[in-house]
Amino acid sequence: MNTRATVFPGFRLVAENLLPHFRLMLETAREVVRRPSALAGGILLLLILGTSLSFPFWYHTDPLSQDLLARLTPPVWQSGGGWGHLLGTDNLGRDVLSRLLYGSRVSLLVGFAAVFVAELVGIVLGLISGYYGGKIDSLIMRIADVFMAYPFMLLTISVIAVLGPSILNLIFVLGISDWVTYARTIRGSVLSLKRKEFVEASHAIGTPHIIIIMRHILPNVISPLLILGTLRVANIIIWESGLSYLGMGAPPPMPTWGRMLAEGRVYIADAWWLVTLPGLAIMFTILSINLLGDGLRDALDPRLINL
Amino acid sequence: MKKAYFLILAALMLSGIFASPGMARDADTLIVVQESEPVGLDLMRSSLQNTMSVCYNIHDTLFFPQQDASIKPALAEKWEKLDDLTWKITLRKGITFQNGEPLNAEAVKFSFDRMFDPEIKSPHKGKLSAFTGIKVLDDLSFEIKTAKPFAPGLYMLAIYLPIVPPEYIKKVGNTEYNTNPIGCGPYKLAKWVRGESIILERYENYYGPKPYYRKVIFKTVPEETSRVAALLTGEADVISGIAVHQRKKILESGKAYLTSQMGVMPYLGINTYEPPFNDVRVRQAVNYAINRELINKALFNDKAILCNGPISPRTFGHAPDLKPYPFDPAKAKALLTEAGYPNGIDVRLAYPTYMSQIQEQAEAIAANLSEAGIRAKLEPFERAVMWQRYKAKKHQLYIYWWDDAPEPDRYMYSLFNSKSRDYYYKNKTVDVLLDLGRTIIDRSERAKVYNEIDRILYKDAPWAYLYVIPEVFGVSNKVFYEGDRDGFLNMRWARPRT
Amino acid sequence: MLRYILKRLWHTVYVVIGISMISFFFIHLSGDPVLLMLPGDASDQEIEELRGQLGFNDPLYVQYVRFVSKAIRGDFGESLYYHVPVMELVIERLPASLELALAAMVFALVLGVPIGIISAVRRGSMLDMGGMFGALLGLSMPHFWLGIMLMLLFSVQLGWLPTSGRGTMAHLLLPAISLGLSLMAMFARLTRSVMLEVLSLDYIRTARAKGLMEEIVIAKHALKNALIPLVTVAGMQFGFLIGGTVIIETVFAWPGLGRLVVQAIFSRDYPLVQAIVFVLSLLFVGMNLLVDILYVYLDPQISYSEEK
Repeated sequence: MNTRATVFPGFRLVAENLLPHFRLMLETAREVVRRPSALAGGILLLLILGTSLSFPFWYHTDPLSQDLLARLTPPVWQSGGGWGHLLGTDNLGRDVLSRLLYGSRVSLLVGFAAVFVAELVGIVLGLISGYYGGKIDSLIMRIADVFMAYPFMLLTISVIAVLGPSILNLIFVLGISDWVTYARTIRGSVLSLKRKEFVEASHAIGTPHIIIIMRHILPNVISPLLILGTLRVANIIIWESGLSYLGMGAPPPMPTWGRMLAEGRVYIADAWWLVTLPGLAIMFTILSINLLGDGLRDALDPRLINL
Repeated sequence: MKKAYFLILAALMLSGIFASPGMARDADTLIVVQESEPVGLDLMRSSLQNTMSVCYNIHDTLFFPQQDASIKPALAEKWEKLDDLTWKITLRKGITFQNGEPLNAEAVKFSFDRMFDPEIKSPHKGKLSAFTGIKVLDDLSFEIKTAKPFAPGLYMLAIYLPIVPPEYIKKVGNTEYNTNPIGCGPYKLAKWVRGESIILERYENYYGPKPYYRKVIFKTVPEETSRVAALLTGEADVISGIAVHQRKKILESGKAYLTSQMGVMPYLGINTYEPPFNDVRVRQAVNYAINRELINKALFNDKAILCNGPISPRTFGHAPDLKPYPFDPAKAKALLTEAGYPNGIDVRLAYPTYMSQIQEQAEAIAANLSEAGIRAKLEPFERAVMWQRYKAKKHQLYIYWWDDAPEPDRYMYSLFNSKSRDYYYKNKTVDVLLDLGRTIIDRSERAKVYNEIDRILYKDAPWAYLYVIPEVFGVSNKVFYEGDRDGFLNMRWARPRT
Repeated sequence: MLRYILKRLWHTVYVVIGISMISFFFIHLSGDPVLLMLPGDASDQEIEELRGQLGFNDPLYVQYVRFVSKAIRGDFGESLYYHVPVMELVIERLPASLELALAAMVFALVLGVPIGIISAVRRGSMLDMGGMFGALLGLSMPHFWLGIMLMLLFSVQLGWLPTSGRGTMAHLLLPAISLGLSLMAMFARLTRSVMLEVLSLDYIRTARAKGLMEEIVIAKHALKNALIPLVTVAGMQFGFLIGGTVIIETVFAWPGLGRLVVQAIFSRDYPLVQAIVFVLSLLFVGMNLLVDILYVYLDPQISYSEEK
């Protein structure tokens, strides 16, 4: 046996497992490109992500600087607007475009991070549940039932009421409220794979459980999980904006799309852009995710039920 | 199978239509829309503005409070001061409660005692705590005593002591009374559909001036835009809770007008016990750092009244020689340097999220402070947490508000006397003066005491003084109604505009 | 069948208990309401007295046992804020929430399913593309933002519909649409994909070749197949509807349980929060149970009736 493999077994494991994945990823990418809607979604999402990451280099307006006398200026194409503030200003005279850009970071960060947390919790619990079965499985699935039945908004509001609003708490709360779908999916896959011959064979020759899980089971469930995760980012972004709207999201002065909606709602009749623009931003982000997600799902398994 | 499913759904939906109450719009019905729904209708049990508004239509007190903190007769016909501690009050003859029960001195004593009933937990009992008790003299007169001379006494009674029917309450109990009250006011409760509307009907045997409108319906619309829209479409006759930027729209619509009511006085409280704010210079720096004029102009259309010291410029007792702290960030920085903070300070600014426009002000103020070197980190809290932390002395800078009442004792005592609150500030001189101020009966002498308090607190700056925001009601052009400084929607005074 | 129902009933029970435990835990951790119940100048002594009186000084598990022993007898206590028995408040507001949820569901079904059918039948056409893109758009909008936009257009600008409150069909329209749009999109997509599958199956082609009318073919066979996933999704999404009403009720001032529970959480009104969470979770789990039973009932019908 190769020395490197024994000293760093993980290295070999990862390399062995990643290679087929790369191939799979390339194939998936090809499928996506073939479908115009998915492609459009993918490009839009890349644009959004790219803008969100790069904007401080080319747009320098401070999202926090107030200009009280210039408050509620309309966007440039309406009378009263100006080129200084392309998308107008909010109730304290801050530049809307700048706040939208900074807000995108919060929404995207919370979205992806929360899904990451949810996936982590879900995968771990689902794996344990499916693999070990028995009482542990029962217990975890019962807990999952409870989480599923708990009205989502209520759960998140209650926890934030305890922890207090902050970005970290938001990620935590949204993450742990959402783990069940992932857990169930992976558990299902584990259950079906457990009986497959190669798993039983591995088990017979004494391969440790962890290796069996990582080598045989995980790679097969990763793709549906990733797709599910991608689509859930959309949901999480909506819930985050809902929580911010209720006043339980990330605290000011850092702008978030949800809070911009809440702050703008008061001025809805005088400053339509304050509610419309953040909402459009959310909508296009989610649309791009959904388009891409649809394409991915079609590419990987066209017979999954369309939801 | 599917058909049945749909049929059932359709039937449920249709029943929804028929079950909904139709709103008949007669000329003698007035529709009033508030921001939130009353919690109960027992005036003794709630201190929420919207709840009290509805209650004052159903309940009456001994006197009618006036805008300058004096009183006029209501249930009481005449009163005389027997000595500095005792008043003798005589009721009108022939007043009945809305269920026919007679109103007499026994009922007054019952009501007074009920205020202090531990089961009621009245939020107003503190304001009447200066009174020691009521002695019934005969059917219509009684004596009421205080422990020490209490100048605002009768005014407090006029606002906080509703007279309630003893027999009825003994019969139905306090919980039922909260949803089905009987009072002696001009309107009685006809029906309360919680979450939808409270329907009041004129009490025909009311002793006082008969209100014009036979029916008053109180509704709740928390969404401000919806409220204003309801006023402009004619769905509502009177609305409360109108943010400054909506007022222009109402005035320009030609369908409604504004009438001023209570003022709200927000302030920036400071924790004077801990550094850096234990140094008065730093506190004054906070006052110099805030650009009140600009905030007034931008956020309130110049309609707010800038405060000098803690006593509102509209209330007697405020020192006329004081001017608002000028906007002077340079001076603020100089004061900070003098106090030993040449590089500025980092502080926390807490504010509650349940009132609209507070966040706006907090952000504007924080920006002002930061420019003067006071880098403020904003801490929004929901109502419960904000109050908890307030009492636990956890705030460093905090925004709260008070209503701009015409009687200075009403809030100055609560906010500054260390017997009442000492969470963030204590000043023995002010304590003595506040105690003095409420015992001097003569108005001009009282004013001098409060002037002094105003000056002391202005210099000592335990708060950053902001402004008074006059609130308004929106009233349809078909109705004539003038708002009161206490901010309650007393619809007995409303009448159609010819 | 009976054993299955019993098993599911047991599932209902432990889920509801689990939820009540979790929510009890959280709401008590989030702070105590005594400070909010008393006026600002209440003394520390009074505060402690009230706390003791209401039993808040006892350890959590003791308080929980007390709560459960009363709840079993149907006594959920009195609201700390409204001073009225909480079940009364809940029963007062429940019809409003149900009305909204059902209206949204009906809207979603009545519009979503036909759109899905048309899209499937006219696959690849402009109708199909338009329908599906519209559905995707509907799924991508935050429902409360949609509500605000609709209110802006139809109530504020055009004045066609009332801005808020509950009363007539007109009041129900905007909230139901806001809540139901994403659900409608889901139904449309689901119906379309299931229909596409079924339409391509052999026996359908055979039936068509035999000359039966297209409509009957579609109606009888394809829709029956769509029934199961539709019912499943409808049941699952009922939970979303119940949860989603929270914000919609706030936007439109709809007097339902969603708004009430948010207020209750903000005022730390423990008994009210517990009661509402209990009722909502019972509804959700009950609906799931119904769906599951329906599922079992529908399933044998479908698997057998097609094999001719």
